[in-house]
Amino acid sequence: MTVRTLTTLQINGVQTDARVALSDTLLTLVRDHCYLTGAKRGCNQGVCGACTVLTDGVPVRACITLALDCDDKQVSTIEGLGEEPTMQALQHAFINCGAFQCGFCTSGMLIAALALLRNNPRPSADDVRYALSGNLCRCTGYKKIVEAVLSASEAISDRNTP
Amino acid sequence: MAGSPLFRPRLLAEALELLAETPDARPISGGATLVAMINAGLVAPPALVSLTRIEELRGVNILENGDIFIGAAVKHNAIATDGRLTGTAGVVSHAASQIAGTAVRNMGTIGGALSHADPGQDFPPALCAVDAVVEVASKDRRRKVPVREFFIDWFTTALEPGEIVVGVKIPKPVPGVGLYLKHARVSGDFAIASVALSVAADGQVRVAIGGCGPKPITSGDADAILSSEKSRVAIGRAGDILTALSNPLDDVRGSAAYRRLLIPRMLQRAIEDAAASKH
Repeated sequence: MTVRTLTTLQINGVQTDARVALSDTLLTLVRDHCYLTGAKRGCNQGVCGACTVLTDGVPVRACITLALDCDDKQVSTIEGLGEEPTMQALQHAFINCGAFQCGFCTSGMLIAALALLRNNPRPSADDVRYALSGNLCRCTGYKKIVEAVLSASEAISDRNTP
Repeated sequence: MAGSPLFRPRLLAEALELLAETPDARPISGGATLVAMINAGLVAPPALVSLTRIEELRGVNILENGDIFIGAAVKHNAIATDGRLTGTAGVVSHAASQIAGTAVRNMGTIGGALSHADPGQDFPPALCAVDAVVEVASKDRRRKVPVREFFIDWFTTALEPGEIVVGVKIPKPVPGVGLYLKHARVSGDFAIASVALSVAADGQVRVAIGGCGPKPITSGDADAILSSEKSRVAIGRAGDILTALSNPLDDVRGSAAYRRLLIPRMLQRAIEDAAASKH
């Protein structure tokens, strides 16, 4: 019989209690227990980046994070980040630049880009490529994704310039 | 969390006690490799001892003699951005910056990487190029293993049952250049072949090749040749010695023959890059 253990963490600011098995990942917890399906299960090996979430503000792979090891942590998924102005600028830029094809990689791309812009509001194109290099787009739509992140960065800096 | 198969001790001594008492338990830190292996059905540990809460395994500290001690639980990103890894020790942060992508670098730890000992990893050759020392501990003892003796075979290290890596000591950096040149299919993939190089301001060279055998390839003879002369002929001789010591496999990333061709060419480029980037 699988032993399930109660774990308590904050997901998008909401205290969440779940009973999880040793091998359950944070991705299983957010998708299958909380029905937050923005984080995608792509490779389930930590390679593709589609499951990227923030844990204590830092981007990590939900698919290779043990749910039980997240006890007491603050997790943000794409669903919980829509109020942040930087994320809104990224969303508008992704729409304006057409930075989508199938959309499967988009939530991971947005979170990786958000983490970049929080630390480096004016990245170069190379900075963007380096920051997104762990996120795969199987449609190969990288050019427009990089353009969208640069465009969001410009929009934010225009807004912040009096 | 009574009854949980995941232990989350706060003290190193507790973790070592748990690992001694429960031989089937596996230690887990960032999880970047072990959880991927669990997901793939390659391993199914009945219990895990999480090292993430242990303060003693964290942090990068400069010791009294100038050596740098990196705790086993320090994440790759912290090492990639640590400005104290200067001069020849720059090879360690340069290698760390090329591991996987940002999110994985926020998870993976140096202790976990060394314990896994995948020959395509970036830290093993980089640490050989600075003659680092791996500190390991079990419930009963703590010992130091020179990094060139730590890696034994494919995915096999000097760690004994119940032992974990507690940290890595890097000798006091000396002025010079340390760089890590990696050839991979895409950025962040495991190396097809890599060269870790340190060139001190006095010309002393330490070189290690990654991805071309069960463990990093090093040679005192190659180091001696390159320390005294950096001509194309000398680099060719050192490259031949290192290539002869290599034992690469054919795999999806490249053939063994291709890897043997890469070693001398990448060595040449690394030495040229080092000469061009006198910090």
